[in-house]
Amino acid sequence: MNIFSLFKCKWWIPLLLGIYCFLYTTKSLAREKSGIPDSHWLSSSPYHMLGMTQSIVITGTVSDSQGVLPGVTVSVQGKSTATITDYQGKYSITAMATDVLVFSFVGYTTLNIPIGGRTVVSVSLQEDATQLQEVKINAGYYSVKESERTGSIAKISAATIEKQPVNNMLAAMQGRMAGVNVTQTTGVAGGGFDIQIRGQNSLRAGGNEPLYIVDGVPFASEVIGNSNTTGVLPRSASPLSIISPTEIESIEILKDADATAIYGSRGANGVVLITTKKGKQGKTQYTANVSRGTGTVTRFMDLMNTQQYLEMRKEAFANDGITTFPTSAYDVNGTWSPTRYTDWQRELTGGTSELTDVQTSVTGGSQRNQFYLGANYHKETTVFPGDFNFNRTSVRGNFSHASEDERFRANFSVGYTMQGNDLPATDLTRDSRILAPNAPALYDAEGKLNWENGSWNNPLRLLYASYLAKSQSLIANSQLSYRIVEGLDFRTAFGFTDLRHNERRTNPSTLYNPSLGFGSSYSSLYRNTNNRQSYSVEPQLDFNRQWNDSKVSVLVGGTFQQQEGNQLILFADGFTSNSLLNTLAAASAIYVVADDASQYKYQAFFARANYTYKDRYILNLTGRRDGSSRFGPGKQFATFGAIGAAWLFSREAFLANNSILSFGKLRASYGTTGSDQIGDYQFLDTYSTTSNGYQGITGIQPTRLFNPDFGWETNSKMEIALETGFLKDRIFLTWAWYDNRSSNQLVGVPLPGTTGFTSIQANLDATVANSGTELSLRTVNLQKKDFSWTTDFNISFMKNKLVSFPNLAASTYKNQFVIGEPINIKLLYHYTGINPETGVYTFEDVNGDGVLTAEKDKKTIVDFNPSFYGGLQNQLRYQRLRLDFLFQFVKQQNYSNDYIFARPGLLSNQPVSVTDRWQQAGDVTAYQMYTTSSNSDAGKAFNNFQASDGVVTDASYIRLKNVSLSYDLPQNWTGQLQCRLYVEGQNLLTFTPYTGTDPEFKTTGFLPPLRMLSAGVQLTF
Amino acid sequence: MNIWNYIGGSFKKTVSKSFVCALSFFAVSSCDDYVTVDLPPTQLTASAVFEDKMSANAAMVEVYVKMRKTGIFSGTSSGVSVAIGAYADELDYFGDDTKGISFFYANALLPSFGDVSTLWNNSYSQIYGANAVLEGIQKSTALLQTDRDQLRGEALFARSLVHLYLVQLYGATPYITSTDYRINSKAAKMSAMDLYPKLIADLEEASTLLPEAYISTDRVRPNRFAARALLARVYLYNGNWAEAANEASAVLNHTDLYRSVVNLAATFKKQSTTTIWQFMPGVAGQNTDEATTFIFTAGPPPLVVLSPSLMSAFEAGDLRKSTWTKAVTKASSTWYHADKYKTKGNSGTSVEYSVVLRLSEQYLIRAEARARQGDLIGAKEDLNVIRTAAGLGNTTAVTDIAIIDAVLRERRVELFTEYGHRFFDLKRYGTVNAVLSVVKPGWEATDSLLPLPETELLVNPNLLPQNPGY
Repeated sequence: MNIFSLFKCKWWIPLLLGIYCFLYTTKSLAREKSGIPDSHWLSSSPYHMLGMTQSIVITGTVSDSQGVLPGVTVSVQGKSTATITDYQGKYSITAMATDVLVFSFVGYTTLNIPIGGRTVVSVSLQEDATQLQEVKINAGYYSVKESERTGSIAKISAATIEKQPVNNMLAAMQGRMAGVNVTQTTGVAGGGFDIQIRGQNSLRAGGNEPLYIVDGVPFASEVIGNSNTTGVLPRSASPLSIISPTEIESIEILKDADATAIYGSRGANGVVLITTKKGKQGKTQYTANVSRGTGTVTRFMDLMNTQQYLEMRKEAFANDGITTFPTSAYDVNGTWSPTRYTDWQRELTGGTSELTDVQTSVTGGSQRNQFYLGANYHKETTVFPGDFNFNRTSVRGNFSHASEDERFRANFSVGYTMQGNDLPATDLTRDSRILAPNAPALYDAEGKLNWENGSWNNPLRLLYASYLAKSQSLIANSQLSYRIVEGLDFRTAFGFTDLRHNERRTNPSTLYNPSLGFGSSYSSLYRNTNNRQSYSVEPQLDFNRQWNDSKVSVLVGGTFQQQEGNQLILFADGFTSNSLLNTLAAASAIYVVADDASQYKYQAFFARANYTYKDRYILNLTGRRDGSSRFGPGKQFATFGAIGAAWLFSREAFLANNSILSFGKLRASYGTTGSDQIGDYQFLDTYSTTSNGYQGITGIQPTRLFNPDFGWETNSKMEIALETGFLKDRIFLTWAWYDNRSSNQLVGVPLPGTTGFTSIQANLDATVANSGTELSLRTVNLQKKDFSWTTDFNISFMKNKLVSFPNLAASTYKNQFVIGEPINIKLLYHYTGINPETGVYTFEDVNGDGVLTAEKDKKTIVDFNPSFYGGLQNQLRYQRLRLDFLFQFVKQQNYSNDYIFARPGLLSNQPVSVTDRWQQAGDVTAYQMYTTSSNSDAGKAFNNFQASDGVVTDASYIRLKNVSLSYDLPQNWTGQLQCRLYVEGQNLLTFTPYTGTDPEFKTTGFLPPLRMLSAGVQLTF
Repeated sequence: MNIWNYIGGSFKKTVSKSFVCALSFFAVSSCDDYVTVDLPPTQLTASAVFEDKMSANAAMVEVYVKMRKTGIFSGTSSGVSVAIGAYADELDYFGDDTKGISFFYANALLPSFGDVSTLWNNSYSQIYGANAVLEGIQKSTALLQTDRDQLRGEALFARSLVHLYLVQLYGATPYITSTDYRINSKAAKMSAMDLYPKLIADLEEASTLLPEAYISTDRVRPNRFAARALLARVYLYNGNWAEAANEASAVLNHTDLYRSVVNLAATFKKQSTTTIWQFMPGVAGQNTDEATTFIFTAGPPPLVVLSPSLMSAFEAGDLRKSTWTKAVTKASSTWYHADKYKTKGNSGTSVEYSVVLRLSEQYLIRAEARARQGDLIGAKEDLNVIRTAAGLGNTTAVTDIAIIDAVLRERRVELFTEYGHRFFDLKRYGTVNAVLSVVKPGWEATDSLLPLPETELLVNPNLLPQNPGY
């Protein structure tokens, strides 16, 4: 594709910024030529003898091999005086001429420089890979040094997120974190992602969602959309798309029991901690970032052309002995032209989605008061014909304050997001694949939608039906802390969320074939309004104390959380006019599909005790007692806890200063967590109203099949991990093994329809194990002044297994589960090839009774779980040029094209590969004979074929997931202004044996993930 | 140093007050209180529903709404009027070859098809609703006896109707009389022979409980005669000719309520006096789903048309052909659609409701029952009532066999596109294979029963074996 088409529309925005950038640069260059010195490298300053006991002001610049370093802490050794370098790396501090200045910065070796009477001290810091171990990791209620953590926590930071032209934070995690499997469910903007942290724990739909915490505030991830309205997306709209990835400073994922048990009942599926951007001390700094890009379908399927297609149809009728084409066979009976050809994929999904991203922020502050203000705008159009788009606007502010004695601290964050989604109500992808290649023209001679006398359903009719969603989200939180005495802090976190979601879907009568004679009285409208408000209060006491070789920290706290939700779904029909579809007033009938109110209350007490001895033996105990209103009386409370331990053996005397092994830690944890993601009020025996009227009475029906006896499910997690760093941590390897077991699972136990329902919420007396190994390797391959190269590799192997299920054979799961196999297997027929004499698919008749029956012959186990997945990321820097690229890989099976397409022979297009079909006795082919009849042997065999392992194929892939290339204009040109130019791409190349559209993608009939390319400019001053 | 002394010492001095303050925060409310939620304002506890006439009534009408909207009795393309009409020789299908009805039309159903399990699941969901009403009123203390009787009668009636169709469609099927999922999930099949006596008992009870007068305008709630009309059909299906004729007579004799048709065009209007029981649309002014499904205005047909064999079954001059069917012509092709229901969509004031039980069927039941008992004169009388209304002369059949066949022919042109009568009649007459194998290329002898849903067999082995041929 043409990169210049990026700027097709509103091309002037980046251009203006580019010009500005250029002007600024030339101005700076001029200044440089005029002899203003540049203070980048360690400069020897004139030595001024001054009085040794007199306070002097020392200034200077701190830099590293690449340039100035902002944010470096400069302190006076042994005194409380400290400052931080500004964006130009400059600092100013008052000290005695005999003092020693300490320059420290995360990731760099700390430097102690005696002032020696100088007034200018400029230094260059050395990067130190081992220092990464000193980074503080957010563990939710507490933070812990990377080297001292006992739990399993994966992290990505803003630097990684910002390199990716994605609109959803979950997309930014793909391939970058061991044990975290993210798959995109649709390429339509605003659509969702599936995330599984260490495999599938629960059989319950939605029961595998991790707990999301935004700045300490729980963020409910339950869907806000409704299937009646959100038809264009494979899953109902998720609130997670509201969180703008560009506002995120870091995402930490808590995986094992040690890290998650403090979240108790909500930690079973892992915890996703989202930290938004915060104010930074220093000179006020402005950042503006604008990028534009395009998205296109990664590849089209290779489908039949008109000639191949008509040959198939005619052969199918001939095979069935039909000589006169039926009336409804419009494609071959002469109704449609046999010479027409339309590439429907290009026609319907071949457009270019345009992306626009604008971000601005201001941050700064003094030592005691800091602020951050940011605004973001994101807009994305679709690849469908017509004018549709997804857009999101957000603002965020963060303020922090510390009292003069630094005993009282306050931090306040607020973020407000508005999101709009204007899409066609139906994804055109399915139509683009099945429409006959000789189907009629989209428009008639008058430019109107062509129905070809009612002989087809014009796909563009679907564009008349629109999906319109608007959401507003407010997340606010404040943290107040008070240091009662040194080492003892009292802290309270308050959180508030307010989410409002409105969506509507119109179905105008113009959607229907005109021969039905439907007028606007057949037009209908669905409206869904969903509001969710929550607050949480978490008072905590934090105690830290260090003496001799011991270090203790104890945290106790409580959580009070309440969430109110209400949802109103309306259906209206009988409209006066199709132009008035958006007003209920024009409808002759309005039905209340649902008017629900729910309340969720949650209370917990939690504690953590951590003991460190001699900086190398660490014991971490966490626990939580939880109460949730989602359980019935007497079953509301449960206790969870974990023990974690770590041994930093590299700090033992016998390994200290070892020239090869620079870091070594062995850690292990065991504990329990739970899940209360079961929806509200499930234990109640109630009736609720329906949308149905009869005699003016609104009907009521049992809300659910009543089972009051369900209780908490428990999930026990065990982990052993080894972290080792070699050669000053230039090679850092983490190996982790885990074994998670969930028992007493709360699931919708399948029921036969004779019960009036298809499932009942109940605890399942079965144990499911998720075990696996995760490996992460980080290597600093080269680190030179002008060139550096770092590689990150992660791979996760996993195995899901049903360990035990008492009395499985007598349960309704009899034909679904196999002990020793994963819980989400499919039991299918075994495909045994095509009978060369009859040309029909054959299958293994397992019990040899001559007929294929599901309960006796579907015995072949197919496992769709990935067997391993991971990513390989490289970061290269040559002077000011940076190149990052990520390969993502997954080893898995999936359904092939043959599962998606209708029977070859019908009025529906097919992949070209289907031309390899049986025609006469003796043929050995990939596909059986064509047939139009659902009652012929071939017609019946096709249905079994789609329920066999014959349609399961290798869908492993290696994908160039992300490439980011950026160039920082030299600061000596731009002076105050820092200007970065970048190009980013997503889903650029895919290597796979899979012949379907996209191997990553699991939802059929929807638009697969797009290939995105974008370019932008970032200015900071 | 001793850490506890340290903490203790600190307390006494500076922090005791703030610490107490902090602790009191934790104990701000007792645990149980905090996590107890009130009943959601949009829900009603099950026990309360049946303590009040209005809400008990609302639970009952929901069963009718479900029947009208989903499953067997739906007037949309998923109901039996279309699906079984196309499965037998009433309708020809013109839609998409990948859609569910195409498999009904081709007699190519498989146990794995969603349409097969949807019909099944919707039916048992309606039965569950009726059973929930039956159990609810049993436990109720506040409901008046008259209301109890009314609701119990209606629930038994509705439950019987759904069971009757299930056994006709799927053969032996479970007879469900409780809401307990532990029992129902292991339910075993019951053959028609065993089921009919149960349905007869239920309907006998319903007809004693229900009053003669309709409790609603427009006959949208069943009365005693609705129960007896259905009872007549069950007796007929079960070969109890005398009882079938008696029950039909009980309905037909009530001429104050039910008067024979004079105007065919008025038969399906909502105030028709030949209607015994009908479904009301959900919203004022709305008309039937049947009209929306069957009527089309231009060719080629979007969904289904009346089959040529049905059209040729109308005798010359049959007013039913001119009143209840309509031709759509394009070039040299002519198609007919069912035109019993003529008003589509919303018409301000509703004109038509979906008629489930009507008088003509009772005449035809009695005609057949009489003929099978040897009362040929009575049989011909009843047959002629129907023929006269259709503008035809009296039947020329003389022998009992001829009269019985004449009834079948008459049923075909009288009851077409009304809830699959034709298919069930052919099965009852034992001619289903002979007739359908001629006009339906995909017909096999085992197609007289639908397959039991695969999803059902996989979770309830008591339903095995599958019906023959699947």
